[in-house]
Amino acid sequence: MKKLNVLVACGAGIATSTVVMKKVEDLFKEENIDANLIQIKIAEAASKQEDADMLISTTVLPTTYSIPSIKAMGFLTGLGVDKLKKEIVDTAHEIQSEA
Amino acid sequence: MAEEKVKISNYLNQQMIFLDQDFKSTDELFEAVAQKAATEGFVTDSFLPKIKQRESTFPTGLQLETRGVAIPHTDADTIKKEFIAVITDKNGVPFKRMDDPDADVSAKVIFVLGLNQPHAQLEMLQTLMATIQDDALLDKVEKASKIDDIFDIL
Repeated sequence: MKKLNVLVACGAGIATSTVVMKKVEDLFKEENIDANLIQIKIAEAASKQEDADMLISTTVLPTTYSIPSIKAMGFLTGLGVDKLKKEIVDTAHEIQSEA
Repeated sequence: MAEEKVKISNYLNQQMIFLDQDFKSTDELFEAVAQKAATEGFVTDSFLPKIKQRESTFPTGLQLETRGVAIPHTDADTIKKEFIAVITDKNGVPFKRMDDPDADVSAKVIFVLGLNQPHAQLEMLQTLMATIQDDALLDKVEKASKIDDIFDIL
């Protein structure tokens, strides 16, 4: 199974992405998805997407990306977390099945 | 919350708690917080312009089920000493939403995060997010009338 490279972004790459990193790490562990998480500022996403499979962000996306991009504010507000988790897991499985 | 080791109160400072305010805008709020933070030696001169700019590019308002909160923060290099400022506002300060900058959220509780060590404050940030998601706890913060109450609650 392909090891996924996942970008986790927020505006400053310091606060909300730190929280989301942990949530995504736990989620992938639970689901046995092998992934490498990289914490970035959203401004870096455009230049880093080539080497990555998925982008998970707590900010609005300033542009469109060539890789699947998921907004993850739910991890901060606690609203719609189950749906968000499913979206992340489904996307991960999809990428793995294409590889 | 009893199992959480890191408490938000470890990052609180008497000088950086502003209760029962009536800020009309985020800029007004940032100016008041920045002035105090500069006096207390928490931030550099670039903190104010940078947090204003950051908030306009990547807003930090969060719409919860029953209320709005905001967690403004900015680049690590503007923070000399880490802090969390707590602001409660009588009428709510209009913030743009993190997930939709075209929508406003009225925040009566605002946590300004002065953090300069990425990765290092995971536990504190998790506690903070748990606090934000705890409606009863946030209610106490919103209604607190004394600075000491904030230390007790958080």
